Amino acid sequence: MWNFIKQKNNSIHDLFEELSKSDDFYQFSTRSVHGSPIYFSYYKSLIDEKKMHHHLLPYIQSAEKEFEELSDLMNVIPIDEREITSDAKVFINKLTKGYIFIHLTKTPEKGILVNLSNGTKGYRDFNDAENEYSVIGPKVGFVEDLDTNLSLLRRQITSDDLIFEEFTKGSYSNTRIMIGYIDGIANPQHIQTMRQRLEDLDMDVIFDSSILDQIISDNSNTPFPLFMSTERLDRTTYMLLLGQVIVITDGSPYVIAGPTSIFQFFVSPEDYYSPWSIGSFFRLIRFIGVLFSILATPIYVAVLTHHYAIIPQDLLTPLIMSRANVPFPPLLEALFLEITIELLREAGARLPTKVGQTLGIVGGIVIGQAAVQAALTSNILLIIVALSALASFTTPIFKMSNTIRTLRFPLIFLAAIWGGFGVTLGLTFILCHLLRLKSLGTPYLAPVYPFRYKDLNDSFIRSSLSVTTKRYTFIRPLKLHRYNVKKHKDIEDDYNNE
Amino acid sequence: MEQKNQDKYLVSTFFVFFLIHSSQTGIGLLSFQNTIIENAGHDSWISVIIAGLSLHIILWMILKMVSNPTKDLLKIHQICFGEKIGDFLSVIVIGYFLLLALTVFRTYIDVIQIWVFPMIKTWELSLGLACIIIYIITGGFRTLTGISFLGVVLPSILLVTLYFPLQYANFRNLMPVLDHSILEIAQSSKASSLIYIGFETLLIYFPFIKYPSKSAKWAHGALAYTTFIYLLVTLITFVYFSQGQLKHTLWPTLVITKIVEFPFIERFEFIFIFTWLLVILPTVCIPIWCCTRILKKITKIKPRKSLYTIMSLILLISIFIDDRLKVDALGKFTSEVGFYYIYSYIPLLFIIFSIRKSKLKSSEY
Repeated sequence: MWNFIKQKNNSIHDLFEELSKSDDFYQFSTRSVHGSPIYFSYYKSLIDEKKMHHHLLPYIQSAEKEFEELSDLMNVIPIDEREITSDAKVFINKLTKGYIFIHLTKTPEKGILVNLSNGTKGYRDFNDAENEYSVIGPKVGFVEDLDTNLSLLRRQITSDDLIFEEFTKGSYSNTRIMIGYIDGIANPQHIQTMRQRLEDLDMDVIFDSSILDQIISDNSNTPFPLFMSTERLDRTTYMLLLGQVIVITDGSPYVIAGPTSIFQFFVSPEDYYSPWSIGSFFRLIRFIGVLFSILATPIYVAVLTHHYAIIPQDLLTPLIMSRANVPFPPLLEALFLEITIELLREAGARLPTKVGQTLGIVGGIVIGQAAVQAALTSNILLIIVALSALASFTTPIFKMSNTIRTLRFPLIFLAAIWGGFGVTLGLTFILCHLLRLKSLGTPYLAPVYPFRYKDLNDSFIRSSLSVTTKRYTFIRPLKLHRYNVKKHKDIEDDYNNE
Repeated sequence: MEQKNQDKYLVSTFFVFFLIHSSQTGIGLLSFQNTIIENAGHDSWISVIIAGLSLHIILWMILKMVSNPTKDLLKIHQICFGEKIGDFLSVIVIGYFLLLALTVFRTYIDVIQIWVFPMIKTWELSLGLACIIIYIITGGFRTLTGISFLGVVLPSILLVTLYFPLQYANFRNLMPVLDHSILEIAQSSKASSLIYIGFETLLIYFPFIKYPSKSAKWAHGALAYTTFIYLLVTLITFVYFSQGQLKHTLWPTLVITKIVEFPFIERFEFIFIFTWLLVILPTVCIPIWCCTRILKKITKIKPRKSLYTIMSLILLISIFIDDRLKVDALGKFTSEVGFYYIYSYIPLLFIIFSIRKSKLKSSEY
C-alpha cells in the first residue's frame, strides 16, 4: 500500500479508488439537518459500528447549523481521538488502525480522522498462565492485547518510574512494540542497546515476541534462549525490579526481557512464595533434573557400549538380564525410545488437551510396555528415558526445556562414538558455548562466570528474603539496594524470655 | 607505546589465580611421582616444596618485568635486544609454547589410549580435541579465562578421591625424613620443577588483566596452591605405595583412583580421566592462544589463520608420534627445554632487562 503512495504521490481523494478494491472498505454520505453532504470512509472490519451509530452519526445529523469548515464539524464530534489531516500517509496509517475518515464536499483533500476502532474484539479476555503454572501465587497472565498488558503492569507497579517507549515495526503489520523499564534501576546502556536493536529491525509481520527474540538476540545460531520470555505478570514485574528491560509486543501474550543469565531460566516465582528452605530445595531439584535429563541417556549409551567395566557386579546382572533379548546396540535402542518420547510430546502438544491426555496414557504405558515385551528396548532404559523426559519438564520456562531436551541427542551420538570421552567432550563444548554467549552484551553464564560472589545467594539456591536485599550485580542496575530488613531485636537478643 | 587493550576484553584481576593454576596443573599430575623419586626417594616431597618455592622467585622476576608499565614478552624482548633480534627471540618462544601444548595434547591422548580405548586411532581423538580447542580459542581471551576458571572449580570434586587411598595409608613409608643428601634432593627438585611449567604464559597475557598492579598476590597464591596440591598428591602417593612399587607404576595417580569404589561405580579412573579433560584444556589452550597472540603482534597474521595452521601442525605431529616411547621422549624433551627456559632464560632476561631499564632511566634524566 505504501508503494503506490510513493509512486503516484497521490492525494487522499485519489486513494479512495485504490482502497475500494477491497470489499470491506465502505463509503457513504449523510447530511446534517440543513446542509451539504458529509462523506464517511472506513474499513468496516476495523471499526465498532455501534460506536458509529450511537456516538458519531446522531451528533452530526442533528447539528442545526451548516458546516462551513472542518473545524466546525470537529467541534460536534464527542470522541477524543480525532484530528484533521491532509497527509495521505497519516490517512492510510490511521485508516488501517480503525479510524474513520470524514470530509465535506468542499474539502475532498482534507478531512477528520476519528478513532472508532473496536479495540480488543477477537482477543481473549484473560489468561491464567497455563504454560507457566504455579500452585501458589497469582495466576494472572498476559493476553494478546498490548493495552491490557500495559494496564496490568501499571496496576502492579504504580511508581511513575515505570517507563514505556513505543515503536512501530513490521512493514505489513505495523505492530506496536513497547520497551519497558524502571527508570533509575535499569542500566541506560541496556535500554539503549535494546532501543537500537529494535530500531534496526525490519520484518514484514511480527507474529509473536519470540520472532523479535530471535532477530534481536546476540547470537541467532544458538539453541539457548538469550532473552527470558514469560507470560506471567509477577515474573515480569520481578524482572523489571531487577533492572531488566522488557519488550511487549502487540498480539503476543509473551513478554521478553534481557539481559538475562542462564540460571534465571530455572527460577520459578513459586520459589519466592514458599519458605526459603523449601524454595531452595525445589530449585536444586530442578538443577539436578536438568543434569539428569541431559546426561542420563548418553551415560547409559556410553557405559553399555564402551565401559562395561564401570558397573559394579551386582548392578551388572540386572542390566544384562534386561538387555539380554534386545537385538540392537545401545545407540539404536536409546534413539528409538527417545524419539518415541519426542513423538508423544509433539503429538500431545498439537492435540486438544483431553485427546492429548489420552494419548499420553496410550503412548506412555501401552507403547512402553509393549516395546519392552517385544524386546525392542530394555526395562532400565525405559525408566531412564521416561525419567529424563519428566526431568526436562521441571524447567519453568518452556523455551529452555525444549533446548535441554534437544541437547541430549548430539550427546547420545557422541557417547556412542567415544563413550565417556565423547560425553565429556560434548559437555565441554556446551560449556564453552555458554561461556561465549551473551545476552544484551552481558555474559550468559553470570554469576558463575564472570564470578559474582554476591549474586550467588539467589542462584542455585534461594536465600532468605532478609539476605537478598540487593539486586543482582551482573545486570548492572543503577541502584543495588532493594529493601530494608528490620531485625526483631527482642527475639534475637534474649533467649530466656526475660 | 603499547596500545591499551579495550576494557571489555579484560578479565578481573583474581582470575590470574585460575589462569596460572590451570596452566600449571595438567597432565603432569598423573605421572610425576616416578620421575621425582629417582634421586631423593621418599624424601622427594621436600623437593616438591623446594621447587615450588624457587618458582616464586622466578614469578617475582616475571611480574617485575611485565608491570610498570604493563607490557608483554614481545615488548621486553624489544627493549632488551632491539626490534629485530627481539622479534626473532619471540618467534622462538612460539616454538616453546607450541611444544608445551603439543606435549600435553599428545600425552592426554596417550592416557586415553592406554587406559580406556586401546584400539582407538590417534587422529580420531586428536580431531575431536582439536575442534574444541579451536572453539575455545576463537572465543577470545575471556572464554579462555572462563574455561580455566571452570577447569579449576569443577574438577576440584576429584580432590575427594584422595581420601580413599588414605584408608590404606602406611605413614612409615615417609620415615626417616631427610635420609638423602642435599645433592639428591636438589636433583629431585630439578625433576619436580617440571610439573610447574606453564605459568610463564603470564608473560604474554598479562596486559589482559584489569588491574595488573594488584595481580601479584593472586599469582603467588596460585603458585602456592599448585605447590600445595602437588605436595598433597605426592605425600598420599608415598604413603599408599612403597618406593619399590612406585618405581614400577607408570601412572601412580590413576592407579590410586582405581581403588575408589561406590555402590554404582567401579573403575573410577575412567571418570577421573574424562573429567581430566577439563583440567588439561587450559594447559593446551593458553599456550596456543599465546602463540597466535605473538604471531599477530609480530607478523600481523590474522589469529584465525595462525590458529588453524598451529592446530593442524599439532594434529600432524601428534599423529606421527605413534608409540609410547616417542610420547615419553617428547615429555622428557619438553621438560628439559622447560627447565632451561624457566631457570636460565628468564633470570637472564631479567638481568638484561634490569640493566637496560636503569640505563634508559639514567638517560632520561
